[in-house]
Amino acid sequence: MQLKKKHKKKAIRGALTTASCTLLGLSNVAQAENAPWQFDAGVLYYSETDRVQAIEPVVTGKKDFGDDRWLNLKLVVDLLTGASPNGATPTNTPQTFTRPSGKGSYTIDANETPLDDTFRDTRVAVSGSWDQPLGDQLKGSFGANFSTEHDFLSLGASASLAYDMNKRNTTLSAGVSFESDTIKPEGGVPTPFASMVPAGSAQPRDASDDTRTLVDLLFGVTQVINRNMVMQVNYGISTSSGYHTDPYKILSVVDGSTGATTDYVYEHRPDSRNKQSLYWQMKYHLTEDIIDLSYRYLWDDWGVTSHTLDATYRWDLGGAKYLEPHVRYYQQSAADFYRVFLIDGAPLPAEASADYRLAEFTGITLGLKYGTQIKGHDTSVRLEYLSQTGDSSPSEAIGVLQDQDLYPDLKALMLQFRYTF
Amino acid sequence: MRSPAKAGERFGSRRRIGSSEKPVTSHASQSINIEHRADYWLGRFQAMASPCEILLEIDDAKLARRLTQLAADEAWRIERSFSRYRDDNIIHRINHSHGQPVQVDVETAQLLDFAYQCYELSEGLFDITSGVLRKIWKFDGSDRVPDAKQVKAMLPHIGLNKARWQAPYFTLPEGMEIDLGGIAKEYAVDRTLLLLQQQSNASMVVNYGGDMHCSGPRANGQPWTVGIEDPSREDHPLRLLQIRHGALATSGDARRYLMKNGKRYSHILNPKTGWPVEHAPRSVTVAGASCTEAGILSTLAMLQGKEAEAFLDAQGVQYWCVR
Repeated sequence: MQLKKKHKKKAIRGALTTASCTLLGLSNVAQAENAPWQFDAGVLYYSETDRVQAIEPVVTGKKDFGDDRWLNLKLVVDLLTGASPNGATPTNTPQTFTRPSGKGSYTIDANETPLDDTFRDTRVAVSGSWDQPLGDQLKGSFGANFSTEHDFLSLGASASLAYDMNKRNTTLSAGVSFESDTIKPEGGVPTPFASMVPAGSAQPRDASDDTRTLVDLLFGVTQVINRNMVMQVNYGISTSSGYHTDPYKILSVVDGSTGATTDYVYEHRPDSRNKQSLYWQMKYHLTEDIIDLSYRYLWDDWGVTSHTLDATYRWDLGGAKYLEPHVRYYQQSAADFYRVFLIDGAPLPAEASADYRLAEFTGITLGLKYGTQIKGHDTSVRLEYLSQTGDSSPSEAIGVLQDQDLYPDLKALMLQFRYTF
Repeated sequence: MRSPAKAGERFGSRRRIGSSEKPVTSHASQSINIEHRADYWLGRFQAMASPCEILLEIDDAKLARRLTQLAADEAWRIERSFSRYRDDNIIHRINHSHGQPVQVDVETAQLLDFAYQCYELSEGLFDITSGVLRKIWKFDGSDRVPDAKQVKAMLPHIGLNKARWQAPYFTLPEGMEIDLGGIAKEYAVDRTLLLLQQQSNASMVVNYGGDMHCSGPRANGQPWTVGIEDPSREDHPLRLLQIRHGALATSGDARRYLMKNGKRYSHILNPKTGWPVEHAPRSVTVAGASCTEAGILSTLAMLQGKEAEAFLDAQGVQYWCVR
């Protein structure tokens, strides 16, 4: 009898594929070069009641270079129009604000949420990644991305590794990404807490641009539990330093007894942010249908903690058709420096922002997706409704502000088409 | 996605190392026929001791007949050229060369190159010279297990490394034989599909006795459904199987074995020891980019015995093992 060594099985498939291709008169490389690009095109239409409208076409392409090597490219264009809250509270008198350029102004009626209607932007983002095996059980992915808007430029690079073990039932992954952003606000970078001055006058500006850098680390485990169930757990750390303030957002300064607005000052945020997140996902494959459940817990040193619960059920209708209902629940706490307004004469906090996205709020998304095939190409349409509610009458409201809706509900509709070819 | 549970059954029987294949009757009816199915044409003929099928997503009956004829001609050509049961081909000349160099044609040279690569990659487990073991191992369900001396006596006549291959000359020592039966059918499947794809862009499947290669999904995006003979299930001889793209090949035949003193000897022979592989799966089906590749992997998996699954896992291929 031979001595049986319990050695790891040798992977011969790569060499065998090459040998088979040679035998069949196919050049392995030439065949891969001839593999066509696969494209996925989509367009998303997003509309908030009275606020932002966005149209976002996305095209992704991937090409197989053989031996599990893939090139992925993605192009996203965001066309945004509409109005966005500028941070000031509504009040019982009309309010006039200077546009970020300092060259004009806009007036908001009494008892209306101040929205800056100059909000209009086009974002173009291009990203690419290269995936390839780095050994028997190790896979790597290396990417770069570029995103630009008229007042924002972002450059990034990322790398991730995935290691298969336990007969490919367990995958360990780790990723790192870097991003460098340059913010060049229209009209320049406002001086923190400086008062807004009327259009035409010299504006309180510190510089023409500022920068921010981000480093993200992600660690994950994906485990096949049984034939029907896959589970994934990720832990992420994200640290960023530099300019985090929204140059277009202001705060109302109000009289401490009447609540009447006396001034508007530019907001100011910390110059760093450290976030951590835990993510859990489970996919359960029934006979035909698929249940996908996930939960994310995110916390940072701004005092924001959030919980996201997400569930989809993919209901197979047969013949490549499916219907997929989606429910998402999101809840976050306010940032430590979130203020609905500042009080005239009170000591200035170190940082303050009235950005509604840093407030405490709850969001619910309900969606339905229908997928089918048109001439053999995967096609889907998705409709989602999003509602976000916060504290409309916070206890700190003073005087006239007690009659105002200080956190108007946000409602949005999203419609998305996708087509693979 | 197809779950392993649904497809994880055995399909056809056949071939391989040291097996007692039935000689191909070269006078088998060399005819083809085509039948119109719901929305495709099915071409049929008999080759390499197997029922052969071509599924064609086309409307035109004349084209269906022409493509089926083309496929059959190619399958019959490969059978004629490489069957070890004929006395008019290169395999016969090599097996009766008495140690003299034989000059081979380009296609045979490519197959020999491939056989050498498989021999090296498998560290000698895949060996086209192992067929001589057939002389002592007859898997007819009886208890005629050869004794250790007989087996040992065969080993000097096995080992591709003992032959000399310097293209275009192949020199096989006296007393040795080669058999391309472990490659030829899958090779024929791949060759046929390539040939047909030069003639038509339609979606199609080439299925030779359960080893198959599909050009891609049907125009409606659906997979093809192919019927496979399953001789191990007497009551239910036909299995349906879905294929969308790529190739599938199966090794194994639960009906070929020997039984002595309660011990079952499978027909999977290890060319290095001359003895049956213990704990080999009853059948292994492997999905691959080509039928040739899938066929070699399924054969090698059988030869791994109880480590078949570990071997296939290491290859990162989709497979279905039946034990």
